[in-house]
Amino acid sequence: MAQRLKPVDAVTIGVGLTGSLAAHELTQAGLKVVGLERGAARFTVPDFQSPAIHDELRFSIRKGMMQDNTKVAVTFRNNSSETALPIRRWASFLPGQGLGGSFVHWNGQSFRAQVADFIYRTHLIERYGKKFLDACGPELTVQDWGVAYDELEPHYDRFEYLIGVSGKAGNIKGAIQPGGNPFEAPRSREYPNPPMKETYFGAIFRKAVDDLGYHPYPQPSSNLSRPYINPLGLKLNACVFCGFCERYACEHFAKGSPQTAILPVLLKNPNYELRTNCEVLRINLDSSGKKATGVTYVDGAGREFEQPAEVVFVTAFPLNNVRTLLLSGVGKPYDPNTGEGTVGRNYTYQTTGGPTVFMDASINVNPFMSSGAPGTMIDDFGGDNFDHSNLGFIGGQYVGSIMTGGRPIEFHPTPPGTPAWGLEWKRAVARHYNHAILVQQHGTSAPSRLNYLDLDPTYKDARGQPLLRMTFDFPENDVRMSQYIAHKVVEIGRAMGGKIVTRGGIKRPYTTTVYQSTHNCGGAVMGDDPKTSVVNRYQQCWDVPNVFSLGGSSFPQNITYNYSVTIGALTLWSLDAIKKQYLKSPGPMVQA
Amino acid sequence: MISPRMRYVAAASALLIGLTLSSVASPQSPGGTHVADLKRGAVIAAQGTAAGAPGCAQCHAFNGAADGTGAFPRIAGQSSDYLAAQLRDFASNVRANAVMSPIAKALAPDDVADVAAYYAALDPPFLPLSKPDPALVKAGEQLAKVGSEARGIQACDNCHGPGGAGEPPAIPYLAGQYAPYIAFEVRMWQRGYRKNSPDMMADVAKLLNDQEIAALAAYYQQVRGAAEIAASR
Repeated sequence: MAQRLKPVDAVTIGVGLTGSLAAHELTQAGLKVVGLERGAARFTVPDFQSPAIHDELRFSIRKGMMQDNTKVAVTFRNNSSETALPIRRWASFLPGQGLGGSFVHWNGQSFRAQVADFIYRTHLIERYGKKFLDACGPELTVQDWGVAYDELEPHYDRFEYLIGVSGKAGNIKGAIQPGGNPFEAPRSREYPNPPMKETYFGAIFRKAVDDLGYHPYPQPSSNLSRPYINPLGLKLNACVFCGFCERYACEHFAKGSPQTAILPVLLKNPNYELRTNCEVLRINLDSSGKKATGVTYVDGAGREFEQPAEVVFVTAFPLNNVRTLLLSGVGKPYDPNTGEGTVGRNYTYQTTGGPTVFMDASINVNPFMSSGAPGTMIDDFGGDNFDHSNLGFIGGQYVGSIMTGGRPIEFHPTPPGTPAWGLEWKRAVARHYNHAILVQQHGTSAPSRLNYLDLDPTYKDARGQPLLRMTFDFPENDVRMSQYIAHKVVEIGRAMGGKIVTRGGIKRPYTTTVYQSTHNCGGAVMGDDPKTSVVNRYQQCWDVPNVFSLGGSSFPQNITYNYSVTIGALTLWSLDAIKKQYLKSPGPMVQA
Repeated sequence: MISPRMRYVAAASALLIGLTLSSVASPQSPGGTHVADLKRGAVIAAQGTAAGAPGCAQCHAFNGAADGTGAFPRIAGQSSDYLAAQLRDFASNVRANAVMSPIAKALAPDDVADVAAYYAALDPPFLPLSKPDPALVKAGEQLAKVGSEARGIQACDNCHGPGGAGEPPAIPYLAGQYAPYIAFEVRMWQRGYRKNSPDMMADVAKLLNDQEIAALAAYYQQVRGAAEIAASR
């Protein structure tokens, strides 16, 4: 029997990026907030210090910072005619676990979405017509977000200054800035910090794309280019290019994260209480099913508690947000046969992959001198930055020379045809290790009525609750898109001086056994219409208005870019509205 | 198994056989193809150059252990890249130093390469030094290995290697370095006299207070050798 605890104003399910940010905003407004985090507490000192933090076997290979999938896995299948099986080794995507969540092991690649992204369906129909969109794939369920870029801009700005993004503006209030990305959405001011130093592989890429007439710019980075004091008074240090960023935590206080940018202030606030090793089982609803009364969770000692709360914030990894809503009966589950229901609908991913450019042995790339966001990039093929009229697909990808380290276990570039082991393999690794450049393609993922999340009918977690089931394959549209860009990127690789240039782009079927991206999106998407969205424009659940589901699960479809900064902006946007509107008069903030 | 100490003696003896009595001139090799000449480096260390640079050994000792006062750093076994970079920075006043800058200016590029390679190859014994305050060493060890969450300071070992063993070629060892020298250099960064490594060491130095500097210096001075560093992990 669960022990009933003293009621609080708000509870967050998960204490990562959205959970810590929401709690900070709410406690500042005077609310009593409890943060429930499934994983352990951890801080820069002592938990992230060297040499232990540079343990590639522990963190990259054995996924030391990720969700314990011996206890809670995700099941997967490519389509609904297959039987899904649990993913017991994370590979394709890496949901984090522990205080700070995935925002601890992220790379720090810090983009905004574009103006058209938020009105994607409207934009595509205006530019190309509905017939074109239907021809790209009748199964596609592209839709608008219900929030416009201009509304989010102040919150993007606030979030970038909070975590200290280092970059070069390309568009300030409509004026194109030399050196920045001319395709970016207009921003109100420069980044808080100047861009990171350009790497040698970045310089080689820059020269090639310059010669080809594209528009190179430095990748915006939340690995900081200089020491910085954020608006909360927290000091972040400069990145030292150690090459252990993705899948690792930063030992230098140099990566924007809850630990560096939010938690030291939040944890001192008497209105806040953090409870780690506490796993939420469900959101509790009253008898009407329209109001949440709190959550039930199990602590590290196995004791069950009921934590009553006026408002519940679902702030876990996107996949776990969706699972929590499904387990709690918040919203109607999506049915792929009828197209009805919304929870689990429009699950999208990210189209990635790019060529390896094998250079002459005289070019010393030194890939190990790197950070999580060291790229030199172009956005000429991003989003809808190029004319799709005669291409037969929607979407696009950014292209960049982005190498996040040359770590010894994972990084062994060898040309096609090299044996996978033995003397010839060793010779090829020795020849190419320091003379190969990875070029990334990274872009949109179109939603399809065939792709969705639901509860697995067979497999359960360690506590006996159903696992989340993922049914996903790349729509043909996305394959056509990424292969079109792959061709352009091979030309870039040749212009870089590549002696051998492999070809990137995605293929069907999607596989979960190769790392691609941790940008799992959607499943509890935002929008204007309760028939096609789980949450309204403020990420408030249509069906249970005192539940807010924050984060990447709200994306109706995935954008060209890495999603973290947009998640931060969406969170601040929602919390701003909650403070101004909801707290004064609790209830639906948008009438359905 | 030959000990590091024996290897040092053997290397130094071999070098001594090759020494000439006159100090060396400063020839330049064309096109940057210079291969470091340890024997020539040893002569520069002992006797200086014809262009007027005095012998390094006067302060740093012929074996690179210096005199133990801490007025001069131990340079033996420091990477040749690091030593050469410091000499270039002394010459250009990026690392301005009243004693070293004129000496470095008098060294030709090949002299720098040779003498840096000479000292990099040495592994002399540590000089006997007085025992530091154990509490100070303990405080320094904590900061060096783990850092301080409250003060926002990361562990020095993150860059300088476990036990301050160095991350050659770019990052110097601190293990066994003299405490007064470490403390002095941190202050040079704090006050802006030492301008090399501006975006790392200058920033880190400014995070440290006098007590922390003293603790770190005391800790690193007493760390000894690879075995001890391994055991300290």
